[in-house]
Amino acid sequence: MSELSRLLTRRYFFGKSALGLGTIALSDLLSAKDRTGGLTGIPHFAPKAKRVIYLFQSGGPSQMELFDYKPGLAKYENQNLPESIRNGQRLTGMSASQANFPVVSSRFGFKQHGRNGTWVGDLLPHTAKVVDDIAIVRSVHTEAINHDPAVTFLLTGSQISGRPSLGAWLSYGLGAETEELPAFVVMLSSPGGGQPLYDRLWGSGFLPSRFQGVKFRSSGDPVLYLSDPKGMQREDRRAYLDTLGQLNEEQLREYGDPEIATRIAQYEMAFRMQTSVPALTDLSQEPQSTFDLYGAEARKPGTFAANALLARRLVERGVRSIQLFHRDWDHHGGLQTGLPKRCQDVDQASAALITDLKQRGLLDETLVVWGGEFGRTVYCQGQLTKDNYGRDHHPRCFSIWMAGGGIKGGTVWGETDDYSYNIVKDPVHIHDLQATILHCLGIDHTRLTYKFQGRAFRLTDVHGHVVKGLLA
Amino acid sequence: MKWMLLAVFTGALQADDISFNRDIRPILSDQCFHCHGPDPNNRKAGLRLDDEAAAKAALKNGHRGIATGDPASSEIVKRMLHTSKGLRMPPSYAGRDALPPADIEKVKRWIEQGAKYEKHWAFLPPVRSTLPKVQDSKWPRNNLDHFVLAKLEQKGWTPNPEADRATLLRRLSLDLTGLPPTPSELDAFLNDKRPDAYERQVDRLLRSPRYAERMTWRWLEAARYADTNGYQSDGVRDMYRWRDYVLESFASNKPFDRFIVEQLAGDLMPNATLETRIATAFHRNNRTSAEGGIVPEEFRVEYVADRAETTSTVFLGLTMGCARCHDHKYDPITQKDFYSLFAFFNSVPEKGLVYNWGNDEPMIKAPTREQSAKLSKLDAKLTAARQAVARLEPRIRREQARWLRSIESDNMIWAPTGGLAYSKRQGIELDGKKVIEEKEGTVIYDYLSPFTFSAWVKPRAQDGAIVSISQDFDEGNGHALLMMKGKLRLHVVFRWTDIGLRIETEDPLPLGEWSHVTATYDGSRYAKGVRLFVNGQPRPTRILFDELNWPMKFKYPLRIGAGYGLRFEGGIEDVRVYTRALSEDEVTSIWDRAPISPKSHPAKIRLAFLDQAKYPEFAAAREAQAERDEYHATIPTVMVMEDGPKRQAYLLKRGAYDAPGDPVEPDTPSLLPPMPEHFPKNRLGLAQWIVSRENPLAARVTVNRFWQMIFGAGLVKTVEDFGSQGEWPIQQELLDELAVSFMDSGWDVRTLLRQIVTSATYRQSSKTTAAAYQRDPENRYLARATRMRMPPEMIRDNALAVSGLLVERVGGPSVKPYQPDGLWKELASAGDYPQDHGPNLYRRSLYTFWKRTVAPPSMVNFDSPNREVCTVRETRTNTPLQALNLMNDVTFLEAARELGERMMRQKGIDTGFRTVLSRLPSEKERTLLQQSLSRFQQRFRADPKAADMMLQQGEAPMPRKLDRTELAAWMSVASLILNLDEAITRQ
Repeated sequence: MSELSRLLTRRYFFGKSALGLGTIALSDLLSAKDRTGGLTGIPHFAPKAKRVIYLFQSGGPSQMELFDYKPGLAKYENQNLPESIRNGQRLTGMSASQANFPVVSSRFGFKQHGRNGTWVGDLLPHTAKVVDDIAIVRSVHTEAINHDPAVTFLLTGSQISGRPSLGAWLSYGLGAETEELPAFVVMLSSPGGGQPLYDRLWGSGFLPSRFQGVKFRSSGDPVLYLSDPKGMQREDRRAYLDTLGQLNEEQLREYGDPEIATRIAQYEMAFRMQTSVPALTDLSQEPQSTFDLYGAEARKPGTFAANALLARRLVERGVRSIQLFHRDWDHHGGLQTGLPKRCQDVDQASAALITDLKQRGLLDETLVVWGGEFGRTVYCQGQLTKDNYGRDHHPRCFSIWMAGGGIKGGTVWGETDDYSYNIVKDPVHIHDLQATILHCLGIDHTRLTYKFQGRAFRLTDVHGHVVKGLLA
Repeated sequence: MKWMLLAVFTGALQADDISFNRDIRPILSDQCFHCHGPDPNNRKAGLRLDDEAAAKAALKNGHRGIATGDPASSEIVKRMLHTSKGLRMPPSYAGRDALPPADIEKVKRWIEQGAKYEKHWAFLPPVRSTLPKVQDSKWPRNNLDHFVLAKLEQKGWTPNPEADRATLLRRLSLDLTGLPPTPSELDAFLNDKRPDAYERQVDRLLRSPRYAERMTWRWLEAARYADTNGYQSDGVRDMYRWRDYVLESFASNKPFDRFIVEQLAGDLMPNATLETRIATAFHRNNRTSAEGGIVPEEFRVEYVADRAETTSTVFLGLTMGCARCHDHKYDPITQKDFYSLFAFFNSVPEKGLVYNWGNDEPMIKAPTREQSAKLSKLDAKLTAARQAVARLEPRIRREQARWLRSIESDNMIWAPTGGLAYSKRQGIELDGKKVIEEKEGTVIYDYLSPFTFSAWVKPRAQDGAIVSISQDFDEGNGHALLMMKGKLRLHVVFRWTDIGLRIETEDPLPLGEWSHVTATYDGSRYAKGVRLFVNGQPRPTRILFDELNWPMKFKYPLRIGAGYGLRFEGGIEDVRVYTRALSEDEVTSIWDRAPISPKSHPAKIRLAFLDQAKYPEFAAAREAQAERDEYHATIPTVMVMEDGPKRQAYLLKRGAYDAPGDPVEPDTPSLLPPMPEHFPKNRLGLAQWIVSRENPLAARVTVNRFWQMIFGAGLVKTVEDFGSQGEWPIQQELLDELAVSFMDSGWDVRTLLRQIVTSATYRQSSKTTAAAYQRDPENRYLARATRMRMPPEMIRDNALAVSGLLVERVGGPSVKPYQPDGLWKELASAGDYPQDHGPNLYRRSLYTFWKRTVAPPSMVNFDSPNREVCTVRETRTNTPLQALNLMNDVTFLEAARELGERMMRQKGIDTGFRTVLSRLPSEKERTLLQQSLSRFQQRFRADPKAADMMLQQGEAPMPRKLDRTELAAWMSVASLILNLDEAITRQ
């Protein structure tokens, strides 16, 4: 680099610049510290977890079949849900005009597991085995009754889109721990259906766009435009970038614009990603024991199991936020056949991830969250028959689990009423959940803010309390 | 010590000229107003600091927030300096840090100097000030230069020299047209020695159709334009005729105030035209939801709120969204103000749950000029054909009478047969149990299939199913003609609870006697397209449910006497099922089922006669009608604004749709000059008020946005927020000068831009030194030109242009250029992106199809707003994903191959370099590129297969005769040039 560019670069990267966060990013890239980017003063206190893996189950898994055991429901089977329970609560447009609300109990068994004899549905045998490592929260509640607003609320703190996603907030606040990979990675899996997702669920909202999640894809380029054109080999690209860098430096000398230095560095980062990303997604070096643990499905790119395994490989490499989406939990009808399939898709790999992180000593510093955007109604939607039933969306209570850094394993938190309809103890609002996640990562949710349109915004809006009972 | 602190914060400020608006309001607003501002519900300790009298009044405890002239006894200063964390302001319990000493010092000085308040600058009308005096009187080329230079001279800075002519032309072309100059345009300018050569270029570019395309892109972002609805199902909509309107408006240099009024209220203008009605699509560009299960009213309110927020952001530069849930914390905008603005947009006859497969009401046909002309021709042809039929009338009368006599003894039974899909003539007696069931798929209707059900019935019970193609349980799905509570009823249901159409007659059918019943549906999706007839007469109806918006490919059995869990008791005869909607005359002719005779209903006699007479004139008229209808169906529609019956607006508590408070009427925000009495209290009045001379904001906000487009940042950097949380204008006098002259010019955008780009300020070089850069990194004072990475659309358009691939065609439907496979599918399992082929791959990016939930990745990579909500602020980042995008996206590789080919044919690096960068390479640059070329030549000569693979990019035909290894090497160098920082930068 020329003297001028070195000078500029030094001043620019290490001095304070007002040109915009995009350029500051480069100081992150070149800094020798463990962490690159992020805000000074964050974390606000010693974090328990450095990273988060969110295993999002899109569509709304039914709590009554999985975690919220209601043995007493059977006696109300096919009876109308008492008005005293429903209490005039608003329903979705899909069941609001239903004439009857017949109660349907889970048609799947439950057993007790672990030290504390925690009840877990038989559809999740592997999860049951790690029950001492996870905290089950049976009292999460949300404000939205439909997918789009509910998912958007959970992941961005607002039902109406436009706010940054959880992962974007973390990249903004905490920066990255790796220079080779994006700080926020998203992976999708679908059994071939389910409610649509939207880019904005991992978007940066009003934060600069570099904080948005980068989607790792299971077909084509794992990261968009990652592969060089066929015919261009690694050393060709290297030579190309050397010339490009020299030419850009000429321009930097001429114009003195530090953006040019940033651009040079971003091309180098791109070059490194071209190696680091394929190395990451190449599972050929994983031993057989890995696939025994995660299941044979993990060999198939694009499955939840493969993505869960990749999530472990990503945390090993210091990626801050990993967001998985598995679709098709929206069982308005056909729950009896559909739900077991979804459980089969994710159960083994979810539990494997916990086991795997634990045996590698990574669980303590990795927060893992499993759950959907809302729960499902105790009453049947559509026809109730011997071998088929459905459940509508239910915002008033649902179950998730959390594990790892900062979370007290073996906990069962919150209680719902006999119908799994209303929460009777220790409610956890979505903003509480968000506050708790941030807390585990060493962030006071009231102090991670970004000023936009004259107002300091935060993930939890003006709400949220850390759920202390879940913390180790 | 004191003066040192001052020196730190004031910069150019003199110690004694503290201005409330510039220096104090930003501190109080950001740090204090949240709890001590306009919102009474959130006010702490009874202290209010945004209002002078309140701030200086004695508090309950006897203290004064501000004691004029006496900072030491002013409570706010004491608290700012308090050492106890619990008492210090702003408080740590609110997550706030102590104020920087420099800020506290400013507040103290201000109080010492008398603590004078000023009304917020932006709420006072702009006024022209005298041109500031400058020392270097030769430098300014026009008024705005005086302001810029005066400021620079005040700081002791000097402006940069003028940029070289080639750089200037490239900058100018990119800024005004979004495309670079061609080498021949460049030569023409470089060889033009006339003194006004530059101004001639400005005029040439401003007149170019490319200018309108460039301006339109920005407006699409402000207007949150997209080709899909945006919420969950994200179905397709068709709003490109509005985009055409914007293009035409910029091309014709429509006065910007008129442009604003047309878009807000073109339907209400006294001389509303098709064009002004299309303009109102501006406020139908908001996102809409087609997600089953939503509470429609919740979303409808969201649409209206979006309009209010967009209006205030784009035209007023106010963030009124804050006042949706509570009074504004920083600006004197009350919650009532928000809902009064909301009320202007609340009476649109729209639905909360919208159609997912195209435009939804209110909408209009929006033909282009060519389409209108063609339609007129077809209409004329149809009129002529109808006239021919009318001329036939005497002959028909004669021949019909003769025919009627001739068939009198034939016992001729006649009924319409066209589209008859099923019939069962003979009577059946049903006992409430028995059912006639035909197999599944006998007749299949979708939601857009017109149809007719008819039968003679003699019911003995109030409830029963007559004919159905549906499920057979209560609240099921499908099509059915029923009797419920005695009334005739039609169901067309996709999902009982929220998607379908249900309608019934007002009066019951008589029990125990025969009635002829018919239902017809025209396939329009709306209950208004249904008619229910009894005994040949249309009956008054009651719409029970009108939400038919989802395709249904059900294959249910056709049943007589059953459906929706109902049975029929009584007689049913002459069941008919058509695949079209019968006309009233046709219905009459089924009801009148006796053999044809002079006593038959005249309408029936005529239909039956014409059916056999087969006059060619009728066939011709039918054909002309069909031709016209078919063409009419292909004419694009656009969703527009319309005011239906007044829908009362309410102040919504906490912003919740289901918590209405006091009713509110349409009105403008109370902090601004009121709407004159004679303005109508509707959108038109609102629009007129926005552009009125009394409104202090609209012109300022508009010129500031254009300034941002040209200089990278607005004079008020917070282009979306001119309120107290917004940035103080870096040069208010300049902003006001521009705003006033803009209004004086009749809101003439071309004149404004001409004024800006012909200034000496604009024409400076963007070269800088480290020291000059450091003193003003954001270049707010404009002692140089700003070097800016191109916006996303320009990056792609530029690559297409320099490679010769660009296909220029102004306007029309959106196009689908290259995009990586699977992006749509992996999010929604629905169909994947249907990429276009041929010329549509190479149109300018403003025509690229914009799917909101999966926006075009190369636009998003380069910081394009996502078009979910109105965005007026430009942002730029610099990321590795952008590098990958430019190196490996087929768009840029194909462009590199084309550019490489041109370089190869002309055997020179220089031509390609100059095409992209408007300059020749330096000796060193040429050498570097030459070395790179040699390296790639060797590489591909050694591996011709690699060259072949390299060249396989995109769908443009590849040259056959060129040496492929050579071409691959040239392509590599071309790609390198396209990836230069300079290539994507306007400098």
